[in-house]
Amino acid sequence: MKNTKKIIAAVLATVLALSLAACSKAQTETAASPSASAEASPAADVKIGILQYATHASLFDCYTGIIEGLKNEGYIDGDTCTIEYVDGQGEAETNSLAASNFVTKGYDVIIAIATPAATTSYAAAKDAGIPVVFSACSDPVAAGLVESLEAPNTGATGTSDSLNFDAQLKMIRAFMPEAKKIGVLYTTSEANSVSQLKNLTELAPTYGFEIVSVGVTDASEVAAGAASLLAKGVDCINNLTDNNVVNNLSVVTNAADAAGVPIFGSEKEQVAQYGCVASESLDYVALGVTTGEMAGKILKGADAKTLPVAVVTDATPVYSLKNMEKFGLTLPADYSSATNMDE
Amino acid sequence: MALGLIETVFREGLIYALMAMGVLITYKILDFPDLSVDGTFPLGACVAAALITLGVNPWLVCIAAFLAGACMGSITGLLHVKLGITDLLSGILVMTASWSVNLIITGGTAIFQFFNLPTIFNSGIASALPEALYAHRQLIIVFILAVIVKLALDGFLKTKSGLLLRAGGDNSRFVTSLGHHPGHVKILGLAIGNGCTALAGCVLAQLNENADVNAGKGMVVMALAAVIIGTGAFRRLSFLKLTTMAVFGAILYKACLQAALLLGLPSTYLKLLMAVLLTVSIVSQKIGRKGGAANA
Repeated sequence: MKNTKKIIAAVLATVLALSLAACSKAQTETAASPSASAEASPAADVKIGILQYATHASLFDCYTGIIEGLKNEGYIDGDTCTIEYVDGQGEAETNSLAASNFVTKGYDVIIAIATPAATTSYAAAKDAGIPVVFSACSDPVAAGLVESLEAPNTGATGTSDSLNFDAQLKMIRAFMPEAKKIGVLYTTSEANSVSQLKNLTELAPTYGFEIVSVGVTDASEVAAGAASLLAKGVDCINNLTDNNVVNNLSVVTNAADAAGVPIFGSEKEQVAQYGCVASESLDYVALGVTTGEMAGKILKGADAKTLPVAVVTDATPVYSLKNMEKFGLTLPADYSSATNMDE
Repeated sequence: MALGLIETVFREGLIYALMAMGVLITYKILDFPDLSVDGTFPLGACVAAALITLGVNPWLVCIAAFLAGACMGSITGLLHVKLGITDLLSGILVMTASWSVNLIITGGTAIFQFFNLPTIFNSGIASALPEALYAHRQLIIVFILAVIVKLALDGFLKTKSGLLLRAGGDNSRFVTSLGHHPGHVKILGLAIGNGCTALAGCVLAQLNENADVNAGKGMVVMALAAVIIGTGAFRRLSFLKLTTMAVFGAILYKACLQAALLLGLPSTYLKLLMAVLLTVSIVSQKIGRKGGAANA
């Protein structure tokens, strides 16, 4: 028995020793590599890793924007830089592995889309001093990514998407002059939703609304949550950027349609595809472009510690005439120039 | 650089090996398909986040996470043994309940960060390492932890309770004939298994400096894959203990994952690849045995 123990100990020790030796060798290799790779493709020295937390339409819009933003700064994949894109599939395991790979491969900058990807990347990259540029992160201060929006001072910076509730509430008032109660369905474990709900509740009285909210904990409760919200006699429902609720939006729309209650979306796709009547929508492609340009500036020498977080609140009104007809709503004159998503 | 990637594989592999050794006890030794692992893995992470924010010593946090996991595991056991709920269902019940417990621990947020606070990777032993080894401190710490847990489990399996545990999986009547309750043995095994799982969650959280309530998704399958691949690939090396096989299995699993990503396989296909890998591993074990693979 003692022998077996010794053998195992020896094997494990060898493994550790080998991997340690391997790593020290790795460092000398990376030190020598720039000249080697420079011969192969002179301009492909800059390496950029993009980690997208999950498969999601808005997040992919962000990615599209980032590629465009990098292009604006002169970074084109396969030409002036190498871009590796990983979709983490919403799995903590895949996200964390991809982030540590970016760090081990010595990438020059990591771009992370959505808060969980950003925190994982930042944790993996901060010791190596690789700058992290995040995108679509609603509250980077609360997420511990930056010290403040103006002066991040951590090595991470990027863009933050804040819903423009003033514009949204103004829009609901214009569409439904008689409405009093706005229903909100949210997931209690999503920090973004909780803080958004708080902001919305504070702003609502300014526009003569009262917020009625129902919290759910997971996907299976969305249907019951929607039913209980409708039972409280709300005049309309307003979406937050709640991942769980948005992913199960068709469940909410079905219930609301049956009750004759219109839903105002938090993003244009919800109007185009999922039956919402209108939305003051953030443009995630534009958010991505800003992110990509920030990453480009950092690659050119800007300091991630001093580059302030860009907060994007510019909202574009969109509506769906087809969906509005179901509820007998007409387009207010003020919004005649808004985009009709039916076309 | 390639060798740096190997370090990542070993680091990640050894963390998940902590869980694989726990699942080895429930799945391989007790023959208990324990689904509560999906809940106890993030439980360990949440305990880590909450206690480290309160300033508790990170090594004590590891012990606390183990105990919290053990608590949840024994609940699975109690539901099964005392209330007669089936093994699968009691695991599912605890997994479901853990979701709320985890959220209560984190104070309601799904992701709980604790950047720049003392963890096992930046204080204590880690900070005492010489300069040359400091860059590899993460690997060294998880290696030490894996060895401690491995030796502790090996030691435990040799004690009287450990022998009863092994007997319990093979033949519960034998345990009864020795004058012991087979149910108590199961509860103990589940407690240890889930304790190890929570410890793995706690270590991963300290490495990433954040706890994610959703991190448990697919953990059962991952741990089972590690155990099955490990015991399958190394079964001919009879001098290896089961625990060692589980450790190697976890590292091998991570290596496959890493290789697939490096070869440019889109992450969409990862789970499919793992299922195929697992199937091959199981089938090859069946063919290795006499009697063939047919199950019909």
